[in-house]
Amino acid sequence: MSAADPLQVLASAGKGESTRSVLRVIILALIAGAAISSRLFSVIRFESIIHEFDPWFNFRATKYLVANGFYNFWDWFDDRTWHPLGRVTGGTLYPGLMVTSGVIYHALRALTIPVDIRNICVLLAPGFSGLTAIAAYLLTNEMTPSPSAGLLAALFMGIAPGYISRSVAGSYDNEAIAIFLLVFTFYLWIKALKQGSMLWGALCALFYGYMVASWGGYAFITCLLPLHSFVLICMGRYSTRLYVAYTTWYALGTLASMQIPFVGFLPVKTSEHMPALGIFGFLQLLAFLDYVRSAIPSRQFQTFLWLFAGTAFGVGLLGLVVATSMGFIAPWSGRFYSLWDTGYAKIHIPIIASVSEHQPTAWPAFFFDLQMLVWLFPVGVYLLFQELADEHVFIVVYALFGSYFAGVMVRLMLTLTPVVCVAAAIAVSHLLDIYLNAKSPENPDAAADKDADGKKGGKAGLKSTNKPLVGIYAGWVKSVIVSSFAIYLLLFVMHCTWVTSNAYSSPSVVLASRLPDGSQHIIDDYREAYQWLRQNTREDAKIMSWWDYGYQIGGMADRPTLVDNNTWNNTHIATVGKAMASSEERSYPIMRQHEVDYVLVVFGGLLGYSGDDINKFLWMVRIAEGIWPDEVKERDFFTARGEYRVDGDATETMKNSVMYKTSYYNYQNLFPPGQAVDRMRGVRLPEVGPQLTHLEEAFTSENWIIRIYKVKDLDNLGRDHASAVAFDKGVKKKKPAKKKGPRVLRVE
Amino acid sequence: MRLSLSFAAALFAAAVSAVSTTGNRLLVILDDDGDKHVYSKFLGDLKSRGFDLSFKTPKSDSLSLFHLGERSYDHIIFFPTKTKGLGPNLTPNLLVDFLNAQGNILVTLHSNVAAPTSLAALLAELDIQLPADRAGLVVDHFHHAADNSSASAHDVLLLPPPKPVRSDVKDFFSAGAGPDDVLAFPRGMGATLGASALLNPIVRAPATAYSYNPKEQVGALTADDVFAAGTQLSLVSAFQARNSARLALVGAAEMLQDAWFDAEVTAAAGGSKKKTLNREFAKRLSGWTFQELGVLRTNWIEHRLDEPGDARSNETNPNIYRIKNNVQYTISLSEYAWDSWTAFAVPDNDDLQLEFTMLSPFHRLPLSWDTSRSSEAASAYTAHFRLPDQHGIFNFRVNYKRPFLSNIDEKNTVSVRHMAHNEWPRSFVISGAWPWIAGVAVTVAGWLAFCAVWMYSAPAKQGVRGDKKTR
Repeated sequence: MSAADPLQVLASAGKGESTRSVLRVIILALIAGAAISSRLFSVIRFESIIHEFDPWFNFRATKYLVANGFYNFWDWFDDRTWHPLGRVTGGTLYPGLMVTSGVIYHALRALTIPVDIRNICVLLAPGFSGLTAIAAYLLTNEMTPSPSAGLLAALFMGIAPGYISRSVAGSYDNEAIAIFLLVFTFYLWIKALKQGSMLWGALCALFYGYMVASWGGYAFITCLLPLHSFVLICMGRYSTRLYVAYTTWYALGTLASMQIPFVGFLPVKTSEHMPALGIFGFLQLLAFLDYVRSAIPSRQFQTFLWLFAGTAFGVGLLGLVVATSMGFIAPWSGRFYSLWDTGYAKIHIPIIASVSEHQPTAWPAFFFDLQMLVWLFPVGVYLLFQELADEHVFIVVYALFGSYFAGVMVRLMLTLTPVVCVAAAIAVSHLLDIYLNAKSPENPDAAADKDADGKKGGKAGLKSTNKPLVGIYAGWVKSVIVSSFAIYLLLFVMHCTWVTSNAYSSPSVVLASRLPDGSQHIIDDYREAYQWLRQNTREDAKIMSWWDYGYQIGGMADRPTLVDNNTWNNTHIATVGKAMASSEERSYPIMRQHEVDYVLVVFGGLLGYSGDDINKFLWMVRIAEGIWPDEVKERDFFTARGEYRVDGDATETMKNSVMYKTSYYNYQNLFPPGQAVDRMRGVRLPEVGPQLTHLEEAFTSENWIIRIYKVKDLDNLGRDHASAVAFDKGVKKKKPAKKKGPRVLRVE
Repeated sequence: MRLSLSFAAALFAAAVSAVSTTGNRLLVILDDDGDKHVYSKFLGDLKSRGFDLSFKTPKSDSLSLFHLGERSYDHIIFFPTKTKGLGPNLTPNLLVDFLNAQGNILVTLHSNVAAPTSLAALLAELDIQLPADRAGLVVDHFHHAADNSSASAHDVLLLPPPKPVRSDVKDFFSAGAGPDDVLAFPRGMGATLGASALLNPIVRAPATAYSYNPKEQVGALTADDVFAAGTQLSLVSAFQARNSARLALVGAAEMLQDAWFDAEVTAAAGGSKKKTLNREFAKRLSGWTFQELGVLRTNWIEHRLDEPGDARSNETNPNIYRIKNNVQYTISLSEYAWDSWTAFAVPDNDDLQLEFTMLSPFHRLPLSWDTSRSSEAASAYTAHFRLPDQHGIFNFRVNYKRPFLSNIDEKNTVSVRHMAHNEWPRSFVISGAWPWIAGVAVTVAGWLAFCAVWMYSAPAKQGVRGDKKTR
């Protein structure tokens, strides 16, 4: 294909290269605008608010950065999380996101535009999605000479729900900037590889360093680039271009990544980073051999050298295995294993399996997140296979691995989306290039030849290099295909808009529902409860809750928490799980030891809210059982028939657990006697609700979603809490029955 | 620091005029005002110590322990009353609330009068058991008063001055009494104490004493029927709640009566007539109960960085330290004795300890007397130590709970942070790093030299190589 031919429609509007460039810039700007504006549903519907869980931590960290400066942020010891362990936050986070926001904030202030840091945080993800669209444009342009493919890729990237799911306004998470960096790093890699340029390789390393600073998913790049290089080498495509690009990227990129405290020496210590190191060494050998080969022209010697290279590779691999087994290199982590065996996490690391976004992807999710791109994607990959230059190999490798990982974990749909957009754009542009060509081909013989070729099948069809002249003659065929694709594209836009608006724009801090008359009703229990905590408790009151709410409590209520969404200490989480799963008498010493002042639980029984703690309870039990198998047993929470019940037939262990008691305390009083119903689980509750001794109810939100309990101090008179409560209720103390055994004497 | 000292001085000035550290409103519960005169000396002593006495009968309508949620009285004395209960204004729950609000209670019993149910329930909550039917009489056939009207009943016990139960417990109740002095305990009821750590016997019955119910157990007494005997019978008991509210139980109300303050008694074993110790004992017991004795106070707590040359050492009570910092911790304590605050000296065979805890103590150190910062009215105890190599949220904790002394439980939370990025020694300071630094230098120099050689070398002849490649 030539660049000029397929753009005739555009060309007729304005002839000449400069007009096209202007048009391209305008179109890209419009795409970026569309990408940003389609992510603003949540701001328009609700308000400028940080969403979900992790963003609240990022937001809090950004505020700390802006208030205290970069060096204090770097050395930040956070004493308001993981009480009483604290968290070396500055050294255990990816600072890229916060630093980006901080730089934008200070830049705007330098321009005398005072913007609230919260608005920067809320709008950062949409802003970067515009850049991602442009990066996708650049990457696609490297793949195909057709400029329309790039524009289509930018458009797909801008509105594909798979990416929007993590980048709506308010979704202030690492992925917000990481996807842009991912695509842009790939673009720079392709550029460096194509040109064999050290400059582009260094730029690639720079953006790789930025990516490492931003997201743990950088390992995807760390593994994909060596893999691409390895595949190229295996295809016999070793070249000095590859050598220059790879070594420049690896040396500078690794140094850059080691500057991040959280990463530190991992690039030379862990198995995940070993492929990159291995390929680096392998390339050195190859370069050396290549040099020798060019110096000594002998076929036998060459064969010998390739054998030598193979042996060296094998020895290197063996050395790696030995070093790993000797403990010099950390073995693959559990998170890595769970990528290969989806059942692994459930058995060995319940804390990973308990996160919904770590579950395997359901099939409809692919269609939901990518719609028509799903079936365009293989077509694009096939088209790339037809040409199979170095850069096309990259997309093919990326496509393979991206699809696999997206199938294993829901959240990795995010890394698949860019390659899907690129491949689909190539497919669509290829089609449009052919069918939008208003001119009919001039040589009918060529078409006849093509038909003949097709009928011959076999021998000619396999030869990808032998390209028949493709051309369409009938105008109606063109119009049918083009118009059907126009409809597909329109449907795609409608689908993306619908998904974005309905599925991905809920802040999950506020729940929206519809009243019978169609008007919107906001359920704002979370913020109500957090505000209560902020206004009614001591500033250093420690809140114990399941880890899901740790970041929100830290961000919205500004109170210290025991555990939060940064699940770095499994034992501490298990301690909280044990405190929730044990009876009050057993969990009280745990809570005293950890200086817990309030216990916060989420209860969805009144509203039918599925994300509540009773539904998550089994995970707490499993995680606690992992550490204390003798004290917490999952079996005890199931009835004899193996059912997980909360009604009158619940097991004694279940009924006595702190989680059950705090969830259902006083709940029956909302209903007529005997009518109490848990609307979430759809069961009738016993008439007599649980009684609390060591805890007392402090707060319950409007819809009973959040319930907060105060942990009582030790009894002033030295009694146990159960008898103190009995005394307060006026129950007469039973006379000690006539002693049967020997008297209990007091010894001073 | 200066502020806290002046605040302490102001407190001190206020304390001198007050009799007790917690207030002087004393409520006396009596059957009727007629009973007052039998306790006139005891009550007179209290009045002379500055207490403001109000007398009420249990069923009085105007009696209310609380007014708008605040205590109406600071202390209560219960003298034996004939009523079975004490009415709606003195329910056990109200009395527990009174203790929780840091009110103090002195309860007296009498063997002829069944203890009111309300008091029995209160005492049961504190793990003090009264005999069955809330009535009992302690007798001792060996240590009774011989020259008394009830000599045959052996129900007036003569006891030696009370000794501390343990050697490390400060002696509050017998100070000044000689070994021959006796304490008369007429017609009293004994109680048994549970294992609660908050309870302490002040006067225990002699080994030969026992308790029985003179109304029901008139005949022979089997071992199983005996409520308690010997030292298990506590005649005068003390309870101190966690908030340092105090309750004293006196088994014999009569020992506080005028008659026994001045009585002269002869021991059953013979000997001369001796004046009883009751008046002094009553003074000390009421003084302890009403927070005039054994009251500890934390004046100030100070911790600071103890690194010479570090400017941050001047900062008092910083919120954050670094791991392996040297720190100094000082606590100033005073003890109240009757009318003034004095320096609190820890008994010789006891230690005041400082714990540095996170989940469990990382350090438990004895605090030593700091003479330079102590005065007549306050003693300073200090400790220097090095923080552990563990970051986290730690507490400086002084937990000093001893019988008869009010509780000291001070917790100061500090964060201990990790080393900041610029607090490590620079690489060139560490001698072990020198080979590596030399290696870097050599590599840099070699690279530069190579570049120089490369750039100034003439390029090889192009033709030869090109030919080879094409071939």
